[in-house]
This record gives sequence, structure tokens and C-alpha cells, in this order.
Amino acid sequence: MQNLLLVIYVALPLALVGIFWALGRHGLGQDNRFLNLFVVLQAALFLGVTSWAFAALKLPVGFLHGEYFYIDSLSLYEILVTSIVFLLAAVYSRGYVSSLVDAGELDSSILRLFYGAFCLLEMVIILAFASNNLALLWIFAELSTLFSSALIVTLKARENIIAALKYVFVASTAMLFSFIGIIILFAMSRSVITGGSLNWTSLFEAAHNMDPRLFFLAFSFLFLGFAAKAGVAPFHTWVPTAYVRAPSAVAVVSGTVLNLGLYAILRLYAIGYAAGAGADLRLFLFIFGLFSIAVAGFSMLKRTNTKKIIAFSGVESAGLLLIAFGLGSATALYWALFYVLGYSLVKSLLFFCAGIFHRQYQSNKYFAARQALKLQPLASWGLILGSAAAIGTPLLPVFLAKWNILAALGQVSAGMLAATLFFLLLAVIGLAYYFIRLFGQEPEGEIKAFRTPASMKLPIIVCLTIILVLGLWVPGGLDNTLGRIVVSLGL
Amino acid sequence: MINTGFRGDLIEVLFVLVLGTAAFIITQRALRSLFTIYTIQSVILSAIAVVLFAEHRTLSLLFIALLTLVIKGFVIPAFLRRTLVVLPTKRDIEFSYLTPASSILLSAVLLFIVYTSFSNVAQALFSDRLFFLGGVIGVSLALMGMMVIFSRKKVVSKIVGYLTMENGVLLFGLFIAEMPFIIEVLIVIDLLMLIVLSTIMAFGIDSSIEAFHKKLTQLGLRFED
Repeated sequence: MQNLLLVIYVALPLALVGIFWALGRHGLGQDNRFLNLFVVLQAALFLGVTSWAFAALKLPVGFLHGEYFYIDSLSLYEILVTSIVFLLAAVYSRGYVSSLVDAGELDSSILRLFYGAFCLLEMVIILAFASNNLALLWIFAELSTLFSSALIVTLKARENIIAALKYVFVASTAMLFSFIGIIILFAMSRSVITGGSLNWTSLFEAAHNMDPRLFFLAFSFLFLGFAAKAGVAPFHTWVPTAYVRAPSAVAVVSGTVLNLGLYAILRLYAIGYAAGAGADLRLFLFIFGLFSIAVAGFSMLKRTNTKKIIAFSGVESAGLLLIAFGLGSATALYWALFYVLGYSLVKSLLFFCAGIFHRQYQSNKYFAARQALKLQPLASWGLILGSAAAIGTPLLPVFLAKWNILAALGQVSAGMLAATLFFLLLAVIGLAYYFIRLFGQEPEGEIKAFRTPASMKLPIIVCLTIILVLGLWVPGGLDNTLGRIVVSLGL
Repeated sequence: MINTGFRGDLIEVLFVLVLGTAAFIITQRALRSLFTIYTIQSVILSAIAVVLFAEHRTLSLLFIALLTLVIKGFVIPAFLRRTLVVLPTKRDIEFSYLTPASSILLSAVLLFIVYTSFSNVAQALFSDRLFFLGGVIGVSLALMGMMVIFSRKKVVSKIVGYLTMENGVLLFGLFIAEMPFIIEVLIVIDLLMLIVLSTIMAFGIDSSIEAFHKKLTQLGLRFED
């Protein structure tokens, strides 16, 4: 029965791509609403079967003898977060893509390419999380670069091509170094596992027999690639460029690629910890984590572009998660995993709202936004509440996670805590200053309001609702899942 | 472990040739020559895999040699040469950050750093000195490829840099641990897709949308209705 889950994850997107191709470049093949319906159905079905798997399957489960595919609580949790984000983005795309086509920014002849890449991106990200084999995860992560860049390049602008190329070269170059790490890990595994293996499960079981010095070497190479995917500084340079140029719906789903990078780092850290390299890896993660928060903090102070400041907020969150992983305590990990869900929703909310602002003002710059609260009240409040959540305002979900991670950090190193707080404060100032300037713009003449379609409003309302609920209450099912994941990591 | 003296010597000669091709890729300005050097480098890697197969009789080494020869020795170079027909420039004259001379100097420094770093773990990772050298040259080649990506301005040259990096990773893999063959195949497919996508985007950079579509049609990548 569980194999059916994998079949659905693979067969549905491939079937949809086949249907899109068969439709041709005329008629229904250029009808946004028709094509979007399929994508929404796929995303809804994926969310449905993932939720079913949580409720019905006894985890962990292996697919096809568990050699290449396998899901445990952690991977299923990440798949669930991915499915939620893709469903919201798919619904949002219905109105958003129509407005891009109407404005001539997206050619209707490439709608099939857009939605095809959208479906395949969700498929490869889910398969990456479901991979039991590290090399397979690497391949799916590479394919996610490919489909994300194809989505970025769908807009008719030279800058989009430059952004997509930057993304491809930075991410793929770093991922090649990761592959060197995979080869070293495979060579190492041959001395502890007959014939060698790159399976998470086998590596984890045999980790205590591995040479910690060699594991650190392998981890250093592996980290380069997955850190680039996660948007960790100094490998983050593609993030702001790509997010600014990407259509908002694409920026939202690209956020799940960042989760993928962090997921791989967490898995590898758990193996390294079991191998006895925990102390070195912890320092490694602390250094890159703190550096990312510092880079994000300083960069956010002088931003003039809404999407860019959201992108740097993503770099900051990647840094905080690295620190939480490095701490390795049950509390820090629990809240880091909670943060992944909370922040994914917050970032999605911010990009959805930024997308409406772009349709309204044809610009992402703060000084273009005039009479925002009057013209786009929902998007404006979404940006205000979303940015308040991103900086960690009490009663919103990111606050709980940040507070608990920082409290755990304080127990380990007061100096690290002080430095982290200082750079986080810079990020808070940057974000607050940005939105004060944005909403403080003087009215200038009469501006015609962009009629925001209901499909663009709905995801914002859903995001806001979940964020407000999660800020006050952690559901029992979520609490149990996070607890199980922490135990399974063995840190 | 390579037991036979002749095969060991042959592999060492091939290592020197690999480094020679890397030096040419770093300094070469003419795009056609750049593609030719990449082809030669890929054929040398394929030859190394054949020599290793002759020694170890592991069938996957022979498959890797064949795959490398077909995809990197013929398919990718042919695709890149075809792009030259529609590319407005045939030479990549500008360098950023590094000049060709300083790039060569930096390559030597990188080679030394990699050699020193891997010396510390040589015994645990490599079965003998030749395998150690193969690993060091593989990582150094990957770093040289990265240098090409960052020091060249034309996207097509950057693509050759990326391909060189990938050759470095392949060389490293040959001398440390043969990956399962299915993984090697998937990686080559991934490489092909990335190269095609990057090249398509490279055309878009200096074209209007109409000219871009025309160029793609010339390449046979898009069919007019």
C-alpha cells in the first residue's frame, strides 16, 4: 500500500506534463485557468496523501525494499510542509499568472512550460525528501535547481535570464563540491559497511565505527552544496537575485528548496554526531550560522526592494536554524523543526503580499507603494503581520521558536548569544525601518486599485489563520511528530 | 592498487595531460578551441577509466569510460559547437578578477593546498600513491573549473568551466570509490539537462525575445508552428 504513495508522487506530475504537452500551444494549452486547475488538483492530492500517510502509516517505511526511497517522521514532516506551500502557491497562481499574462509579462504560449516545471519541481523536492540514498537526494536537489531556474526564466525579461543563470552556476558549482563529499563518504562507508552504502539508514547505523576526522572532511565538502541550496552565507548570493526576479508564486515554492538544503545538513550532522565528530561540526555550524545572520542583518538595513528584504530574511532564518542544529539539544531541535513550518508559512505570506504589491504598483520598490493600506488592505496587513512574525513578535509562531532556540544557546555560550542577538536586532531594525518607509509614503495623485482576484487573497487568509493559531497553540499531532523526529535523530 | 609498472606510468602521463588541458582551458580565448580542449580532456579521462579497467576488470569502469566518451567526447562538444553558429561572438576576451597568468599561478597554489590537505588523510582514503595523486588532481581540476566560472564573462565559457569541474569530480571518483553505475548515469543526465538549459539561457542574454526564439529554432530546440 505504501508503494502507492510513491507512485502517486511520481506518476501524477509526469502524467500532467504529458497532458500539457499533448494539449499543444493553442486553445486549452494557453488557458491559464484550465492548466492551473490540474496543478491545484495535484498539489491538493499530494497534501491529502501526505496527511493520510501521517495518519495511517507506521513510520518509518521503505519503498521498493527501502534501498533508494524511505520515509520517516522527519522526511514526511518536510514533505507535508512542502505540500502545504505548493498548494497555497498553486491556488495563488490562478489569479497571479492571469494578471502576468494580461500585462504581457508572461507569454501564454509558455504557460504549459510554467505549470509543467511547477509540477515537476514539487515532485523532485518530495522525492529528495523521500530519498534514502544521499546520491539520489543530490540528483533531485540538482533537478530542483533546473526546474526552479526554468520557472524564473518564464518571465519575459533579460534580468530573469541573468538571475536564473546566477542561480544555476552558484548552486550547481557548490553541488559539485558536495558530490566530492559524497564520494569520500562512500569510500569511508566501505570500511564499515560491506560493499559501501550511501543510505541514510545504513550510514546512521554504522556511524559509530566511522573515522570522525574523515567524516569531517566529507561533511565540509557536502556542506558547500547543501548550504548553497539552503541560502547560507557566503553561498547565498543567488537567493536575493533569484527571488527578486522570480514571479511571486515561484519565490514561494523556491522557499521549499531552502528547506531541502537544511534537511540534508541536519541528516548529515546527525550521522557525524554519531560518528564522534559532533564537537567539530557544532563549531562549523555555529560559524556559518552566525555569519549568515550577520550578513542578513547588515544587508537588510539598506534594502529598497520588498522581495530582496524577504530573501535576506530567509538567509537570516537559515543561519538561526544552523545554530539550532549545532546546539543539538532536544529543545533546540524541536523548536528548529517548528520554525521550519512557521517560517515557511510566514515567508509564503510575505511573498504572496509582495506579489499583490507588484501587480498594484508594477514595482517591488518601497517608494513606489503609495496609499497601500487603502488600495490593498489585505496585502498590506499581510505584510505588516508577516514581517512582525518574521522578526519574532510574541504571540506569533516564529517568536516561540526563536525564543527557545536563543534560550538554549544562552545555556551553551553567552558570547554566542550576545553576538546572535546583536545581528538579529540589526535584521529587526532593517525590516521595521523598511516597512515604516513603505507604509509612510505620501499619497500622490489618484491611483487605480488593482482588483485582486479571490484566488490571490485566499492563500493570504489561510497563511494568516495558521500563523495566528500556531502562535498560540501547538496541536497535539504536531507536538508528537516533532518529539518523534527529535528522538529519531539521536542527538 | 595498480600493480603493473607500465599501467602506472601510463596513468601518470595521462594525469600530466589532464593538467595540461586544464591550463589551456583557463587561458584559451577562442571558444572553438575551448570546446576542443574540453573534448580532449574528456577523452583522456575515458582513457584513464579504460586503463583502470584493464587493471581491475571491474565492468562498471568500462561503462563509465564508454559513457564519458560518448556524452562528453561527442554529444556535449557537438552541441556546444552547434551553438557557435548562432553566437554573435566567437571569442571570450574579457576576464574578471583574474588574468590568465594569475589564474595559472593560482592553480599551482590550489594544487599545492589540495595536495597538503589530502596528505593528512591519504592513508585512510587512498590505496596507494597513484590513487592519492588521482584524487588530488581530481579536486584541483574541480577548483580550476570553478576559477573559469568566476573569471570568465561569457556564459558559454562558464559552461566549459562547469564541465571541467564535473570532469574533476569524475576523476576524483575514479580514484577513490566507484559509485554505483546507475548513479553515474543519472549524474550525466543531470549534467546534460543543465548544459542545455544554461546554453539556451546564454542565447537569451543578448537577444530580444523574437531573436531568441529565432536562435532556438536555428538550433533545433524549438519548432515553429
